[in-house]
Amino acid sequence: MNRKRIWAVAYKEWREILRDRLFFSMAFLLPVLMLMVLGWGISFDVENIPFAVLDQDKSRLSRDFLHRFIDSRYFSYRGDVQKAEQLDTLLAHSDIRFALIIPDKFQEKLLAGQSTAVQSIIDGVFPYRAQVAKGYVSAIINNFNAHLLADFIARTKGISREQALALVNPVHVQPRYLFNQALRSSWSMASGLMMLVLMIAPPMLTVLGVVREKENGSIYNIYASTISRGEFILGKLLPYFLISCINILILWCMVIVMFDAPFKGNPLFYFAVSVLYVICTTGIGLLISFLVNTQVAAVMLTMVITFIPAMLYSGLMMPLASLSDSAQLQAHAFPAMYYLRLTWGSFLKGLGWDALWGNVVALMLYAGLLWIIAYLNFHKRPRQ
Amino acid sequence: MSLHRTALWWRRMAVMIIKELKQLYRDPVLLVIIAYFFTADVYLAGDGAKITLYNATFVVIDHDHSAASRELIYAFRTPYFDFQGELADVKSAEKLLNNGEVLAILDIPDHFQHDLLQGKPVALQLRLDASNMSLATLMSGYSAELVGRFGQNYSLQRLGLSAELRQAVPLIDDRHRVLYNPNQTDSWFMSISELLTVITMLSMMLPAAAAVREKERGTIEQLMVSPLTPIQILLPKVLAMGLVIIGAVAVCLYGVMQPAFHVPIQGSAGLFFAVTALYVFATSGIGLFIASISRNLGQVSMLVLLIIMPIILLSGAWTPPEAMPAGLRYAMYISPLSYFIEMGYGILLKGAAIEILWDSLLGLTVLGSVIFSLGIWRFRMQSG
Repeated sequence: MNRKRIWAVAYKEWREILRDRLFFSMAFLLPVLMLMVLGWGISFDVENIPFAVLDQDKSRLSRDFLHRFIDSRYFSYRGDVQKAEQLDTLLAHSDIRFALIIPDKFQEKLLAGQSTAVQSIIDGVFPYRAQVAKGYVSAIINNFNAHLLADFIARTKGISREQALALVNPVHVQPRYLFNQALRSSWSMASGLMMLVLMIAPPMLTVLGVVREKENGSIYNIYASTISRGEFILGKLLPYFLISCINILILWCMVIVMFDAPFKGNPLFYFAVSVLYVICTTGIGLLISFLVNTQVAAVMLTMVITFIPAMLYSGLMMPLASLSDSAQLQAHAFPAMYYLRLTWGSFLKGLGWDALWGNVVALMLYAGLLWIIAYLNFHKRPRQ
Repeated sequence: MSLHRTALWWRRMAVMIIKELKQLYRDPVLLVIIAYFFTADVYLAGDGAKITLYNATFVVIDHDHSAASRELIYAFRTPYFDFQGELADVKSAEKLLNNGEVLAILDIPDHFQHDLLQGKPVALQLRLDASNMSLATLMSGYSAELVGRFGQNYSLQRLGLSAELRQAVPLIDDRHRVLYNPNQTDSWFMSISELLTVITMLSMMLPAAAAVREKERGTIEQLMVSPLTPIQILLPKVLAMGLVIIGAVAVCLYGVMQPAFHVPIQGSAGLFFAVTALYVFATSGIGLFIASISRNLGQVSMLVLLIIMPIILLSGAWTPPEAMPAGLRYAMYISPLSYFIEMGYGILLKGAAIEILWDSLLGLTVLGSVIFSLGIWRFRMQSG
């Protein structure tokens, strides 16, 4: 290894990046934009669900019941209709996502001490939102039921209304949201997105840099030169690696400043593991760029290999426990999951080396393995 | 004469389309990647990813050890929750929560059964790992419902109101129905959303790459001096790639999504393909625009990535309009994917026909024409 040669390649690469102004600005802009767009864009808060009502009873009690929904911040009232078919049209057109049908004799039956049934129709296109909405509907109806039942018991058993209310609702759950007390989507998403962005951007830069030389033939200069394989790889990747390290810091600041996420862990530890992660993902890019010969193919392959697994099989969108077995296997064979644990551990949980060392070791192994494979796959005498 | 000229015009178009298809055919890596996107990628997204509560691991700290507490634990059952056993103290339980080994800790207080029998209100504490937002939301909703139902049944039984007598109690029975996806199969939503995203990416990337490659290699000069008009150079690229994409969509729909996930096609398949063709046309306009402002494929892929993110974000696929801030809601009108999502889900899942979808169709047509003309205009300006 000759340091001077590494330096020469790195300097050449750096000049090349600088001269392609669009590419250079993109290298910094893309990660920032990705974080902003996805951080604000993917929200798991389910609120303001638009809904409409068909009230066939139009009584005091039915209006009372309806107001439980109208007053809730989870629902947003879009008016009432006269016929059930109108609800179908509204649902099909995505004007509303939830419809409520209150039958006639609603008040009459309830006051007579009989049960009655309402119909709630939920748009199930996005199952997560449908499930959460269903939970809200049940909660409102259960709460209304508790009051009805308490009134009834108070009347029939001759006890006070408060006592009766305690009787019908004896247990309740007090949830405590650890690590994210206010249950803010942006805290988890924004910090988690560091994992996603740093999974996509570094390999993308790398493949474009290396495959460009392959596609326009300038790599033959390297093949013909005295520079060794290792020197070329190190020198070539150094500028991209540095850009990604700067991006770590930029993204980190954005998560804290723009998304108000807390950082409870050790900054030095987190920076070190982030650099390790960037080494891993740059290695993925390196491996890809030795496998393909055209830039389009390289970019596509990078998207395939990085985006989907990091988005879906890392624990970012859904917990690992609810993945299928094959998907879990894929998650463990990929660095994203380990880095996501390190990220949430550092940002939200305030954990350090003691609790997270296993993930760091996994990343180290991954980085080592990737670079060795990439090194072995790069030949100065390509078979054509 | 004019007939002859039209024939000649179309002949030239056909020759160019065949040229584009041949060029694509000769990049085997790219072909494999396109095939991968429309088969394995969609399959993986639909197969592994669930954003539903499934096997959420939890431990219990039971201070009461009574029949009632055991009954309560039993209420947290599979497939939603996965009981991992009892622990004696909070410390060791919180350690498990920190390490991500369990997702919730249920704390049952002393005198739980005693208080229940006395009719005193009891509070259960549930500590949830809220670093994953979607999961925490679902867990707290489900557990509140489970515990509420448990408590109500417990009291009613004690009051001698058994299940048969429930009819004689004023209660509202919620008959809910989830439309369009009655079993809330995640794979339907996920695979369709993935397919639409893949279409978006490829219909931007492929024509843009085909156009800029000519610039990069200098072959555009040859085309310029040929009798071809700029339209005849650009349109065949769009048509050729569009043909490939539509063919791949058919393979994906009938070869992957239907056999593997039983995704229904409630509406007209013909309409779906027509809408897809319109959409591919619209987004390839963006691709051409990108190709016109970039000099090499590196820039193209960066710009595609940069533009595709807001398009996906503003599409309503992950975050429906009602969950967005007001400003972004209006910005949705300029994302072509938002119309395509509305129509794609509308046709496939909701069985919507043209009477319902006409406004989205109109929107996409107008937006698509504007984008496409802009792309062509920009390219013409440049290549003179």
